[in-house]
Amino acid sequence: MVLRFCTILCTENRFDPIMSAESGFFPLRTCFLQEDLILKSNKRPESFRPLEYLIFIAVTTAVMLLCVCVGSVMLPLKDTVTVLLNALTGAGFPESELAANILLPVRLPRVLCVALVGASLSLCGGAMQGLLKNPLADGTTLGVSSGASLGAVLAIAFSLSIPGISFGGTMLSAILFAFLSLALILTLAYRLDSSLSTNTIILIGVIFSMFASSISSLVITFAGDRVKTITFWTLGSLQGSSYENALVLLGTLVLFGGVLLGYSQELNAFAVGEDNARNIGVNVRRVKLMVLISISVLIGVCVSISGTIGFVGLVTPHMLRSLTGPNHKRLLPATLFGGACFLMLADLLSRTLLNPRELPLGVVTSFVGSLLFIYIFYTSRKGD
Amino acid sequence: MKHLTHFVSLLLILCLLAGCGNKATDNQTPSQTETPETAETPADTKTSDSQSQEESVKPQAVENGAAVTVTDMSGRQITLDEPATRIVALTAADCEILYALGAGDTLVGRGEFCDWPSQVTEVPSVESGANTNIEQIIALNPQVLLMSTMAQTEEQIAALENAGIHVVVSDAQDIEGVYEAITLIGALMDKNEEAKAMVSGMQDAFAQIRENSTGDGSETVYFEVSPLEYGLWAAGSNTFMDEIARMLGLTNVFSDVSGWAEISQEQVLQRAPDYIVTISMYFGDGPTPDQEILSRAGWENIPAVQNKKILNLQNNELSRPGPRLKDGAEILYDFVYGE
Repeated sequence: MVLRFCTILCTENRFDPIMSAESGFFPLRTCFLQEDLILKSNKRPESFRPLEYLIFIAVTTAVMLLCVCVGSVMLPLKDTVTVLLNALTGAGFPESELAANILLPVRLPRVLCVALVGASLSLCGGAMQGLLKNPLADGTTLGVSSGASLGAVLAIAFSLSIPGISFGGTMLSAILFAFLSLALILTLAYRLDSSLSTNTIILIGVIFSMFASSISSLVITFAGDRVKTITFWTLGSLQGSSYENALVLLGTLVLFGGVLLGYSQELNAFAVGEDNARNIGVNVRRVKLMVLISISVLIGVCVSISGTIGFVGLVTPHMLRSLTGPNHKRLLPATLFGGACFLMLADLLSRTLLNPRELPLGVVTSFVGSLLFIYIFYTSRKGD
Repeated sequence: MKHLTHFVSLLLILCLLAGCGNKATDNQTPSQTETPETAETPADTKTSDSQSQEESVKPQAVENGAAVTVTDMSGRQITLDEPATRIVALTAADCEILYALGAGDTLVGRGEFCDWPSQVTEVPSVESGANTNIEQIIALNPQVLLMSTMAQTEEQIAALENAGIHVVVSDAQDIEGVYEAITLIGALMDKNEEAKAMVSGMQDAFAQIRENSTGDGSETVYFEVSPLEYGLWAAGSNTFMDEIARMLGLTNVFSDVSGWAEISQEQVLQRAPDYIVTISMYFGDGPTPDQEILSRAGWENIPAVQNKKILNLQNNELSRPGPRLKDGAEILYDFVYGE
C-alpha cells in the first residue's frame, strides 16, 4: 500500500521540471511565499518573536504548575513548593512524606506526559490541516488514531514485544499501522478525487475509522484471555505514566516534531494549494512523505502510551489560528504550547471532577472536541 | 467519538459486573472452539437417566407431574410442570451453582464467560449480556433460561416465553442474594435439600470467619480490579469484596465509591492500605501482578507494599455471586490472619 501511495505521488510530479532541482529554487520560493502570506495575514510578523515565545512559555509553565499543585489528593501549597524545590536542588526530603511520594513519582510524570501528548497531537493536527488544506483534518477524523489503535490492539493480543523495551512492540506496531492507515486513506482519496477535497477525505477517514474499529472489536472477540487487558487499554489512560514514557515522548517530539516545524514554510505553500507549492519549487513528494511519516510516528507513539485521545489535534490549531494567523511558521510553534495547555487542563478536569474517581481523559477531550467540531463544521459550511 | 462509545460500553459492562453482581468479563477460557452439535447430544441423553440415579424421589415427582412454583429474583412467579432437566444459564455464577448442586448435567447451554468448573466449557456456549442471542437459546430447546436482569427487553423475554422457555431471573447483589439464588435454583431442579445444605455450609463458613476475625476495622484493604498499566480500577462499596472485607474486620479504602470504578492513583497512596488484593490475570510473561505492584514508583511507603501484604486472586473467587465466595473469603482470611 505504501508503494502504491508513493507511485501515485510520483506520477503526480512526473512532469514537474522544478522537482529535480529543488535546492536551486529556494530563494525564489521564499519570496513568493512571503508576499503571499503578508497579503493574507494582515501584515502579521512572519515567525514567532522571542516575546511571543516568552508569553507562550510563561502560560504553559503556569498551567503546568497549576496541574502539579492541584490533584485528586489536595496537598498544601507549601509542601508542594518545598518538594519541588528540594527535587530541583537535589536536597533530600523525609522518605515517608506523602507529598513527595505523590508529587514526584505519580503526579509530575503524568502532567509531563499529558503535556507532551497534547503538544504532539496538536502539532500533528496543525500540520495535517495545512498539508491537506483541510480544516477538519486530524488523527481521529482521518482514522490514523484508529489505525494506530488497531496496531496496538494486535500487538497486545499477539503479545508482540521487543525485549528490553517495555511497550516497544505496541509502539512499533502502532506507528506502523498509523502510517499504513494514512497511506491507505490518502491513496483512496487521491483515486477518487485528486484535488483531495474536504468531503472525500473526511468521508474516507470516517469509513476507515469504523473499519479499523470493527477489526479491533473482532480481535478483541477472539482474543479470549486477553480481552480484559485490551478493553481497558482502548479506553486510554495516562495513570501509569512514568518518566521513561515522558522521555520517549520528548525524544519523538524533538525529532519528528522538529521535522514538522522545519517544513513550516512548505506547509504554507501547501495551504495555498498543492499546485502552487509545486510551481514555486517545493519538492511536493518528499515533503509530503516526510510530513506523513513524522505524523505517523508521533501519533503512533502517543497512542501506544496514552490510548486514543480524540479531538485535541483538531481543536487546538483552530483555536490558535485566530491568535497567530494561518502562517505555519507561527501557528505550529503555538500549537505545541496550546495543545500542551489544552490537554493538561482537560486532564486536570478528568482527575478532579469526580474525585476520588477518575474520568478517562478521552471522554473530556471528546466532549469538548465534539461540540467544537460541530461548531467549526457548521460555520465553515454556512460560509460556502 | 469511538473513544466515548468504548467508554460507555465498558461502563455498562462494569455496572453489570459490579452493580448487578453479574458474570465477570474476566473470563479465562475462550469457548469459541466447541461446536454446539457435538456437545449437545451427550448432554441431551445424559440428563434424564443420570438425574434419576442421583435421586430416587425425583422420578416419582415427575410421574406425579409435581409442578414446581418459584418466585424469581425479579419477583415474577414461574410454574414448571416438572423439575427442570434442560437448563441454559447465562451467568458464570449460576453455572457454578448448578454444578455445586450436582446438577451440572442438566446444563444444555451456558453464557460465553462461564468457565468454572472446567467441565462447564464442554457445554455449548451462547452469547450473553448485551449480546444475548434469543435464536441460539431457542435452538438449544431448554425448559428454563437462567439469567440476570441486565440488558434484556420485555420483548425478548416475551419471545422466549412464547417459545415455551421459562425465564428465571437470578440476580444476586449481596451474599444474602447468593443464598436466595441457590435456593431458587435448588427449587427449580428439585434439589431443595442440596441447596439448603450448601447455603448453611456457606453461612457456617462465613460465621466462622466472622467469629475468628479479630480485626476492628482499623486495618484497611484495597481491592484492585484493573492494574495501573490500563488505569486503576478499584472495588468500592456494594461489592462482594467489600462485604467480605467487613466480615474480616477490615475496612475497604474505597468504600466511598460505589461498585467498580476507575480511581486516582494518588488516592491509593494517600489512603495507604494495609493489604492489597488484586484480581489481575497473569498471562505468563512479565512480572506477576503482585510483583508488579511491589515495583510501582511511589508505592514504596504504602504499608501493604512495605510488608509485602499483597494477594493475587486469579479465579474470580471474590467477584462472582456463587458458592466459591466462601473459598475466596477463606483465602482472604488465611492471608490476613495467617496460618
